[in-house]
Amino acid sequence: MTAVPARSSEWVRPVTSKDPASKIIEIDRVSQVFQTSTRRDHVALSDISLTIEERAFVSILGPSGCGKSTLLYIVGGFVSPTSGAAKMKGQAITGPGPDRGPVFQEFALFPWKTVLGNVMYGPRQQGVRATEAEAQSRALIEMVGLKGFENFYPKELSGGMKQRVALARTLAYHPEVLLMDEPFGALDAHTRTRLQNDLLNIWERDRKTVLFVTHSVDEAVFLSDKVVMMSKSPGRIREVIDIDLPRPRRRNELLLDPRYQKYVVDIERMFDESDESGAAL
Amino acid sequence: MMSPAALTRRAAPVLACIGLLAVWQVASLALKNDSFPTAIEAIRAIPDILGDKESLINILASLRRMALGFGVAVLVSIPLGLLMGRSRGVAAFFNPLLMVIYPVPKAALMPIIMLWLGVGDITKTLVIFLGVSLPVIYHSFEGAKAVEEKMLWSGAAMGLSPTHRLVRIVLPAALPEILTGCRTGLVLALITMITSEMIARQAGAGNILFNALDMGQYDTVFAMIIVVGAMGICLDAIFERVRARLVRWSEPQFDMPLSFS
Ligand SMILES: Nc1ncnc2c1ncn2[C@@H]1O[C@H](COP(=O)(O)OP(=O)(O)OP(=O)(O)O)[C@@H](O)[C@H]1O
Ligand SMILES: [Mg+2]
Repeated sequence: MTAVPARSSEWVRPVTSKDPASKIIEIDRVSQVFQTSTRRDHVALSDISLTIEERAFVSILGPSGCGKSTLLYIVGGFVSPTSGAAKMKGQAITGPGPDRGPVFQEFALFPWKTVLGNVMYGPRQQGVRATEAEAQSRALIEMVGLKGFENFYPKELSGGMKQRVALARTLAYHPEVLLMDEPFGALDAHTRTRLQNDLLNIWERDRKTVLFVTHSVDEAVFLSDKVVMMSKSPGRIREVIDIDLPRPRRRNELLLDPRYQKYVVDIERMFDESDESGAAL
Repeated sequence: MMSPAALTRRAAPVLACIGLLAVWQVASLALKNDSFPTAIEAIRAIPDILGDKESLINILASLRRMALGFGVAVLVSIPLGLLMGRSRGVAAFFNPLLMVIYPVPKAALMPIIMLWLGVGDITKTLVIFLGVSLPVIYHSFEGAKAVEEKMLWSGAAMGLSPTHRLVRIVLPAALPEILTGCRTGLVLALITMITSEMIARQAGAGNILFNALDMGQYDTVFAMIIVVGAMGICLDAIFERVRARLVRWSEPQFDMPLSFS
């Protein structure tokens, strides 16, 4: 299942690391205030500025409720920030578009469509011919390890399987930026590891820009070029750490690599410190 | 071979009908009231009604009005309900209007409508239309409101326009709820069909029933009640089949039987 189907040149483009790193997403002083049902204002994001380079894998790491999903929704154009602005390739983001593909924490599959129907939905919407869309979608379904489940309805799948369909459904319409909200959060450790490897394989060939939300420190270090650490109430960026580990990364090599271990330990310590300072308040 | 459980399930409705008729028969024999014929007398009168060309034409005309009223109501109410569910403005405008109409028995509007449009087909069809519309609007509204936001976001990210999202995401996602409304609407269509013919006495299945009542032909009255009831059961059973087919994807995975065994 690690075999990515040989497809259009776009997919198998070799990594050109000499490319000058150009900005694809710019988040400029974004704040998000929610009116809660108790009518008190709740600051979910406070003054977030972040630049994401083209073809970078950036993880957002932070405790539950620190505004990670909200930040992703703003980049997706689903939510407009209370103040500040987000830009995609220099253009202000005013709404959702097929250039930014979300994979939601809640899956949000279309329950009336089969696995195949869900994955084909985007390409069909974009005018890809049915036979071609179907062939592409079948290959993607196989890639995420769901061969044989093409005609199942979402209610007939486990949580982890739904998550994989959601990933395939978004990959199917080739967004330039993937916005992934804890995509592996619902998976067992084994499937999680396998999908991390697969995602890395796809990404190392394809080099889409990925904005990846996670709770897990090892996952963030393993996958990313850059880890954005957030802190809670109000949600702020605490630290941005460049992960300088060679690619392609192999999990079994990396786990033994002292540099990898140091990143993990350092980041975990920073979280512990912020917990303590939080408790002191 | 059917399993005993399946056999019981199949036989249950038949047993229920037989039980009801038996209770009726016994009650009627016990009461010895002229205006309460026995079940057997009523059943005997059915072939007379169905064999009579005039009556058959009347019943078919009723069914045609019912189908028309129901069909138009569904075609208008589903889009309206879905729009209300997805747009606060549309909901704010229509909700008070519907709240005024909802509790009014639609048959009570008949005399006024008759003044405007006469006692013909249009009036009766309009009353059926009104009776069916409200539950269908209400359930479409609730169904559309409950559609998961992230599903709409996913569609928007794929490039679906707002209209496309309404037709291609909200409509299918709300379909189970919409069809629940349609099922209620179908029963209401039958009820308003009969009541409308009771008020505008001229033709139709309701007319046969109430004419017989005026003339004291009680076995015909009860025979018509059976006929109308049977129509209701058949229409509902057919609708339920179609519904189950359309929304198989949403049926619950596991039954939690309330079993006593
Ligand atoms: N629509 C909303 N209305 C009011 N408050 C909201 C809304 N959406 C999010 N919030 C609040 O904003 C904060 C951030 O929410 P968000 O979902 O972005 O957190 P998160 O970092 O993704 O958490 P998790 O890791 O648990 O998914 C939370 O405190 C939440 O209560
Ligand atoms: Mg979240």
